[in-house]
Amino acid sequence: MTPRILVVDDDPALAEMIGIVLRAADFEPHFCSDGSAAVDAFRNSAPDLVLLDLMLPGMDGLAVCAAIRAESGVPVIMLTAKGDTVDVVAGLEAGADDYVVKPFDPKELVARVRTRLRPSSEPTTDVLTVGDLRLDVAAHEVRRGDTVIALTPLEFELLLALASKPQQVFTREMLLEQVWGYHYKADTRLVNVHVQRLRAKVEHDPDAPRIVTTVRGVGYRAGSSA
Amino acid sequence: MPAARGAGAVTVESVSAALRRAWLGRRGWPSRVAGFWRSSLEFRTVATTVVMAGLGATIIGTTISVSIGANLYDQRRDQVQSESLRATLLAQSIFDSATATEDADQVELDSLQNEAQSAILASTSSPGGTSIAILRTPGQTTAQTIQAIASPDFPADQITPELRDQVAADTGALALQPVSLRGPGGDAPGLAVGSTLQVPTAGQYELYLVYDLSDAQTTLSLMQRTLALGSLALVVLIGVVTYVVVRLVVGPVRVAAETSEKIAAGQLDQRIPEKGQDVVATLGRSFNGMADAMQKQISQLAELSRVQQRFVSDVSHELRTPLTTIRLAGDVLYDQRASFTPTAARTTELLHTQVDRFEVLLADLLEISRFDAGAVELDLESTRVVGLVDDVVAEFEPLAAEVGSTVTIDARGGYLEADVDPRRLRRILRNLLGNAIEHGEGRPVEVEVDSDEEAVAVAVRDHGVGMTPAEAERVFDRFWRADPSRRRTIGGTGLGLAISLEDATLHGGRIDLWSRPGEGSRFVVTLPREAGTTATTRPLAAEPDDGARAGATAPGPPEPTSGEPWSGTTEVHGG
Repeated sequence: MTPRILVVDDDPALAEMIGIVLRAADFEPHFCSDGSAAVDAFRNSAPDLVLLDLMLPGMDGLAVCAAIRAESGVPVIMLTAKGDTVDVVAGLEAGADDYVVKPFDPKELVARVRTRLRPSSEPTTDVLTVGDLRLDVAAHEVRRGDTVIALTPLEFELLLALASKPQQVFTREMLLEQVWGYHYKADTRLVNVHVQRLRAKVEHDPDAPRIVTTVRGVGYRAGSSA
Repeated sequence: MPAARGAGAVTVESVSAALRRAWLGRRGWPSRVAGFWRSSLEFRTVATTVVMAGLGATIIGTTISVSIGANLYDQRRDQVQSESLRATLLAQSIFDSATATEDADQVELDSLQNEAQSAILASTSSPGGTSIAILRTPGQTTAQTIQAIASPDFPADQITPELRDQVAADTGALALQPVSLRGPGGDAPGLAVGSTLQVPTAGQYELYLVYDLSDAQTTLSLMQRTLALGSLALVVLIGVVTYVVVRLVVGPVRVAAETSEKIAAGQLDQRIPEKGQDVVATLGRSFNGMADAMQKQISQLAELSRVQQRFVSDVSHELRTPLTTIRLAGDVLYDQRASFTPTAARTTELLHTQVDRFEVLLADLLEISRFDAGAVELDLESTRVVGLVDDVVAEFEPLAAEVGSTVTIDARGGYLEADVDPRRLRRILRNLLGNAIEHGEGRPVEVEVDSDEEAVAVAVRDHGVGMTPAEAERVFDRFWRADPSRRRTIGGTGLGLAISLEDATLHGGRIDLWSRPGEGSRFVVTLPREAGTTATTRPLAAEPDDGARAGATAPGPPEPTSGEPWSGTTEVHGG
């Protein structure tokens, strides 16, 4: 079945062009050109992925992103004309999984979309534990005791990548490759921001993390370093 | 004034507490005092005043003491002199009257002598003791002699031969000599007076009177003690008064200093309380006026900068959206060019490459305008610089191979990690390496990495055409090209080095350049290891130390260089 992709962009020419590129790559694009209508369009089209421009009339892209994230874990890729730290980090913090900086080329766009639609790893075991968390890999579910912790697919992938090799310290570059599918140098802020988001959900005290710990100067690992 | 004394006591206590704190540190106390001296205006002022006042009091006290002492001595000497004179006359008159009445025989002489001695002792009224001695002047022959006598406590050893000679000369005047008397309470000053007596039939005798001056010494000591205590009290009082006055004056200055520090730290609404009409209040008012004006200016600038940032951001968005569409369209066409006519295919290729170029140029322009607007910030991360260099070199290896260059990395030991913005450092290295390969004439490119405690440095050396001093000076200028006719393989925008310099400056770092026509160029980027500091050391010098090696690895005929190789450093300006 063809994956549906919702393109939220106010520039008709660009939206149409993105549509052409997506169709050529066997995706089914849906369009929305207004921020305030984006959430409704999201509900109606039930897309598998959202391409979201950050500067939108009606409702700010960040707000749209947060609204979508509030009701769904569907992957969101920001289309941003801004490479500035503040804008990128704000978008990631609003819940976007990844971002593409304009101007991008068609291959890059398609690659980013494909990565987010396809689970990256095939773990060998069905259930993993990290700290007091249980990861049910098949069900894409994380539990603490009987409580299910709602993670987005990306956050689950991130936690899974770390938990599947609890002894290993992952550099940000390794995580970028494994979770985001970047095979070249990319922005390590993606990792930083999503680790923060993940910690906010799974840690008892996000300021003193015990599930996802930082190895200073290297990267991250699952569980405490003891 | 008990109130004033109370206040004085408190301030003295606080001074002594401060001194104690300064002295009891872990460091040696001289350096603590030196530090305190430098840092505390109060301490400096009080110490200077106390030292000066102490010096003054010592000089005045010594002068007073010396002059009073001299006066006391003179007075006693005069008294002693007149007493001695009287005693001498009395004794002489006793001897004279006896000889006038009868012939003297030995027994009579002895009784006369006793009489004279008693009369002399009775006539002295000096405080303290007076001792007496009557000695025969040596070297005479007379019919009769009288026994030399001396009172029991007479300090015979203090009568020097010089004094005796002087007395024996019989000038008629009294001979005086200061002596020191051994008493129960140590040595005491004394005065010995000698005169002559003519004893009938027995010849010339010398009368010595020794006066004890310890009472005068006691008076003098008491006076000196009083003076010393008084001076000390005065100096302490001056010190305390100085401290209080300095506190009064320095207090408001300190408040002003603290307030300006707060303002400098960004608390722009800090002000000095304005009280009264005196000069201090005026200082406060002018300071506050200045702070008001500054706050206004700063908020205006901040607003301007915000507007500028917003503008840059908007332009960026507005330009990039159509460019993205063009880019996507161009790439879709480019992917299908095999099915086009040759003309259309070539056109598509040109479109593709020029869109790329336009895109890079736009990105660089936007980056420069962000620097100009001050709308840049570092995204610092603990980074292994050597690893980053490795990555960039690996990235450029295909390009280097294309022009026939090899790129070698010489990473020395040292401190591996530094707090840098990896994206910016990567951009700097890409620029330097790209330039080195492009201008390296296919000869080897050498990259060096080194560091010390404060800074990390990466040097990129090529053995290409190099630059003249005039060219090297302009190399960081925007859109400047050394040789416009040269074929460009990388298609730089002419903004690369300008951006690199801004990036380095933003880190508090620098880019140094050495270049010589025909021998190539060497760029050294130095960044501080810790964020927020400025690189002061240079782990790698701008000048290459490869003299002979350069010749060996660059076998091409080096052009005869005219003049000195150009070596310059870039200014590290604010930001």
